[in-house]
Amino acid sequence: MKEITAIIRRDKLPETKKVLEDLGFPSLTIQSVDGRGKQKGMVCNNDLDPDLPDNFCTSVKLTPTPSTYALEHALPKVALFVPKRMLTMVVPDDLVTKIVKSIISVNQTGKTGDGKIFVSPIEGAIRVRTSETGGEAIA
Amino acid sequence: MKMIRAFIRPEKEQEVVQALEGAGFPSLTKMPVFGRGKQKGLQVGPVHYDELPKMLVMMVVNDGDVTKVVNLMMDKARTGFVGDGKIFISPVETTYTVRTGEAVL
Repeated sequence: MKEITAIIRRDKLPETKKVLEDLGFPSLTIQSVDGRGKQKGMVCNNDLDPDLPDNFCTSVKLTPTPSTYALEHALPKVALFVPKRMLTMVVPDDLVTKIVKSIISVNQTGKTGDGKIFVSPIEGAIRVRTSETGGEAIA
Repeated sequence: MKMIRAFIRPEKEQEVVQALEGAGFPSLTKMPVFGRGKQKGLQVGPVHYDELPKMLVMMVVNDGDVTKVVNLMMDKARTGFVGDGKIFISPVETTYTVRTGEAVL
């Protein structure tokens, strides 16, 4: 068994769910998270989620004059985070590639902020209702 | 690659993030969570707090950077009092960047 953790754009969630459902994997956990990548959250000029709050970028969009420069450097720097959705699902080993491929195909826009997918091993799974373990529990 | 999940005090989050950024690890995901530890929550007089707010900071780093990141986090998140949190490290086999579709961190 493998755990797939995908961090994706918020507006791509319905499409991703649809695609996973069509593949036969409707079971997943969704969480609202905040995150950032190599760009340190400063992605104001190129892309971003369309439904970000308006004031999200104001702190990095000051007009560069000596006074704003001084202001910027006097204030404590706040780390910027972009709201994202995190999907977690546990799937059988042989289907990992297929699922990852389909998640990528739906979520790829080519701009920064598309997200990351992590695949990690899971040692066991138990269905609480029936006490089934292993592969049966996630089937 | 390893996934580092750190449960830290919410008020220490910015400090930890800035320190990690300074050390060259800007990428992370955070989420607010509620939990308790060995002490079964917090007892203040007659009031018992069962679930305390924490910030879960999650990041995936290369094997060689794990010690460095964990030490940084511990250094910045520590107050010396009960409730400083826990750090868990688990293996990650593959990482994909959605934008490019490549399997690189």
